[in-house]
Amino acid sequence: MKTYKNKTLLLFLILTVSTLASACQPSSDAESTLHYGLTLAPSGIDPHLNASAELGIPLNSVYDTLVFLDPESGEFVPGLAERWEISSDGLRYTFYLRKDVRFHDGTPFNAQAVQENIDYILNPDNHSQKAATMLGPLNQTEILDEHTIVFVLDEPFAPLLDSLSQVYLGMASPTALDQWGASEYQFHQVGTGPYRFIEYIPNDHITLELNPDYAWGPSIYDNTKASVERIVFNFYEDAASRALALERREADILGEIPPHEADRLASSADFSLSPVAIPGQPLQFFFNTTTSPTDDLRVRQALLLAVDKKSVVLTVFGSHSPVSNSPLSQAGYEWISELPPSAHNPEGARKLLEEAGWILESQEPYRKRDNETLVIKLIAPPWGSNSEVAQLLKAGWENIGIDVELTIAPGFGTLKEVQSSGDYHAIGINFFGTDPDLLRSFYASDGFYNWTGFSDPEIDRMLNEAARASLAPDRRVELYNQIVRAIIDNALVLPIRDYVNLVVVHQGIEGLKFSAQGWFPNLIDIQLPSP
Amino acid sequence: MVSKSHRHTATLAVARRLLEGIGTAWAAVTFAFFALRFASGDPVASLLSQGLASPEQAEEIRISLGLNAPLWLQYLRFLANLLQGDLGTSLYTHRSVSQIILEQFPSTAALAVSGLILALIFGFTLGITAAWLRKRTSGMIAAAIAALATSIPVAFTGILSLLIVGRLQQGHVTSNDLFIRLFLPALVLGFASSGPIARVIHSGLSESLRSPFILAARARGIHRGSRLLGHALRPSLAPVISLIALEAAFLFSGTVVTETVFSRPGLGRLLVKSILDGDYPITLGLVALAAILYTISHVVADLLTLMIDPRLRRAE
Amino acid sequence: MRIHWLKILCVLWLATMVLMAIIAPIITSVDPYKPIGSPLQSPQDHPPLGTDALGRDFFARVTYGARLSLSIPLLATLLTVFVGTSVSLTAIVVGGLADRFILALTNAALAIPGLLLAMLLVAGLGPGIPTVVIAVGLGGIPGFVRLSRSIFLGIKEMGYIDAAYALGASRTRVALAHLLPNAAPQLFSLATTHFAWAFMGTTTLTFLGLSGDPSVPEWGAMLNSGRMHLVQAPWLTIIPGILISLTILTIHYLGENYADR
Repeated sequence: MKTYKNKTLLLFLILTVSTLASACQPSSDAESTLHYGLTLAPSGIDPHLNASAELGIPLNSVYDTLVFLDPESGEFVPGLAERWEISSDGLRYTFYLRKDVRFHDGTPFNAQAVQENIDYILNPDNHSQKAATMLGPLNQTEILDEHTIVFVLDEPFAPLLDSLSQVYLGMASPTALDQWGASEYQFHQVGTGPYRFIEYIPNDHITLELNPDYAWGPSIYDNTKASVERIVFNFYEDAASRALALERREADILGEIPPHEADRLASSADFSLSPVAIPGQPLQFFFNTTTSPTDDLRVRQALLLAVDKKSVVLTVFGSHSPVSNSPLSQAGYEWISELPPSAHNPEGARKLLEEAGWILESQEPYRKRDNETLVIKLIAPPWGSNSEVAQLLKAGWENIGIDVELTIAPGFGTLKEVQSSGDYHAIGINFFGTDPDLLRSFYASDGFYNWTGFSDPEIDRMLNEAARASLAPDRRVELYNQIVRAIIDNALVLPIRDYVNLVVVHQGIEGLKFSAQGWFPNLIDIQLPSP
Repeated sequence: MVSKSHRHTATLAVARRLLEGIGTAWAAVTFAFFALRFASGDPVASLLSQGLASPEQAEEIRISLGLNAPLWLQYLRFLANLLQGDLGTSLYTHRSVSQIILEQFPSTAALAVSGLILALIFGFTLGITAAWLRKRTSGMIAAAIAALATSIPVAFTGILSLLIVGRLQQGHVTSNDLFIRLFLPALVLGFASSGPIARVIHSGLSESLRSPFILAARARGIHRGSRLLGHALRPSLAPVISLIALEAAFLFSGTVVTETVFSRPGLGRLLVKSILDGDYPITLGLVALAAILYTISHVVADLLTLMIDPRLRRAE
Repeated sequence: MRIHWLKILCVLWLATMVLMAIIAPIITSVDPYKPIGSPLQSPQDHPPLGTDALGRDFFARVTYGARLSLSIPLLATLLTVFVGTSVSLTAIVVGGLADRFILALTNAALAIPGLLLAMLLVAGLGPGIPTVVIAVGLGGIPGFVRLSRSIFLGIKEMGYIDAAYALGASRTRVALAHLLPNAAPQLFSLATTHFAWAFMGTTTLTFLGLSGDPSVPEWGAMLNSGRMHLVQAPWLTIIPGILISLTILTIHYLGENYADR
């Protein structure tokens, strides 16, 4: 009995000691390691197959794309393609490829490699969630010679170059694609970029190391070679943990810092704050136009007027976000002509509701029409600050006599389920992107994200014409300006603020710049302080 | 010396427990399968509604998951695959569920094992102090801490510990990752699970300290020797071991919150994510795993109890 | 004597919390839903407890928070006790195969942690307060059935139930007139301890953001949203945390010491 107990004690002792010992192991960080915090742990990180924006933060520097979008000029510049030609009918894109490029595994980059990438993306067995749709009406690719390839479309598709400039269509080594196949390639990624992919442990970390052979960087990079040797990306999904991770020096760079925390950190000499505007849609709520009471334009207008946007944005986002009045952000869409500022006018809102027949009797908390109470079901996603904004919307709408039922969906799945059921009046969702064709899936009658349920043949016609106007950029500008106006006139959406990613960086780290998409850092330009 | 017939009954008892364990595991896995099927509806619907599969692809996935077959056949297939360690593939990443679970397992195992060790250390210390020094302030404080341990939500202790460590470390630039990443969460988890252990030891020890044989020993002058403590503790060991089996299950749900608060990878967060995303094969795999682990820990606890207390063996 | 004193303290604390829930509008005249000033004001700047991250009066939110924080686990416990007692009583009275089947089912269900069961239900039913009540209520049933069954079993084994049968009492009569009243004190103690479990479970689910509407004040959800401002405004987390912990502590204490009055 006694020996038994002693043995148990010994066992506990060994386990404890080994736990503590492993806890005290010195970290093997070389001087030139950067710890970059990610804020979402995607379920998969194959850029050809998965849709997360987070995966681009590390992988944007593992891959090069055929073309790059210059964030300053808004023009496309050469990448892996030295130059390209678009046929006059907009159906054939010919790319002349660089001849000096090798993948990290030594495989030469050529037209064959491009074709294999496209085939991998379009293979239905691989279930591509984003890249395949980004190729639009692509019919096939034709290899003209070893370094020339043609993309043949079924109909003109203006966003094609924008698609090809994104990491989702980055060029991967065909050798590695063949070797690993769709579900395992994400752990063994091989590109041509300034950083090599070393390892990925899901939910834990991604490691990159610099590619010493890199000599084909695009003009948007300041440096020709990376200087930080090793970059480790850890996940900080819980927003509350991010500022603490920076203060403990667990992370050197971290994005999506909650606004009040970002201000606090920025006031210290140890950190600097860079707010990065993300092009795309603002944080917004769509009104369901297929169900009462939001099928009535006056009710939708009243809902817009009742919200004090300025104070909402100031409370939730501090001074870092511009108030939005448009279905597209200012960043990246500077060519949208000036829109009327959104008014805060609760009196006007009350009048509109009364015109629509919703009357507030004295002693009653909520408005009624024919004994039916005015109820707005408001659904918000859990990420970003949607939940906080939605709570303030609720307070504003209750103020004019509306009974607001707020639900925060715990994930995208639930959000989409509520949406498919149609049982909502206002619902929050926003996507990012650098091409205005983004609007098509939200406002075209048959759009996949047409959560307003609005259907207008004129809007449909303009969206389709703009999507096909590859060779007429001025016509596109004109059309999208009209579309934006139509969306605002019909009060289809309540935009709140332009998305700004608050990135906090440890003092001394220099050169942090972001790609045109906003989320993705140009890792090649980052420099650590000299020791 | 153990006689031959004694050994025989012992073997029989062990065999019986093992058989019972297999029965419970089967029942639990069956319950999990049907409960999940009734709670979550069509597993492919959420994939379809998110646009991650076209109707044709969804139909294909239904077929490949075997969802078109009658429920009883699906259940039999699930059992057969489970026996081979095959839990199917994730709806979203099309990767093997067993592999996804295996990747996250070490992190949770490290947390749970360190948490359990700390729970035992705290539980024994608090329980023994509370019973042995029952009339002194230190004993009462120990009892109060043990009561607190059962009452404070893990979320709250986790947050508090982060706040305190954050305050202490301010200005000191240290990157002792593992202290924050493993030891602190284990401490929080261990503290939360130490309450029940302390309580069982406290009450068991108090009782045996009042027993005539201990009172006699004390009268003979062996006042508070460690030998005496050892003897007095022995009766509480069996309930503590069964409790640890229960705690093993608690640790599984405790890690859900701990991993969230401390941003740790692991099965707890995988579970929450799979439930919220509607990735049904992962959820089912994790629930089955939880059920099996629970049963195993119970059987092991039973066997350990048999080893410790020969009286139970004879009672068979 | 000291124990007695502690008990009074516990009862007083719980009574205060219940009173706070009932007379919240009398305690504070401020609307807990409406922003009234700038966010994250300290208690000094805006007495007594400052404002939360959306500029709402935190004292009003804590006070009104007692309503849902107490009533969700209470309703869930009532559900568990009602269903759990009916099941275990039926098992004991009918006996035989039915009892063994229920026992086996309970054991199988127990192998899945109650919290996990509750989360699965929330995922199936969609987030919201009613869902949390149902999920916590159903999630607690297996454990409650097991413990209440052994209480009934203990009473059944005392001779007088057999005596009642011998006198010609029906099963229903034995269950309702003999087993239930005799088990009442132990069941009450069990229900009280279970209430503490339900309180913890509710807090966990609302902490994970499954309660649907975060504008409705509830302590677990406040614990979660306060966390975002831990360093700047620690009281937003610490106050609901202390209220939750002390309430669970007192319920535990009362439940455990109810039997040995």
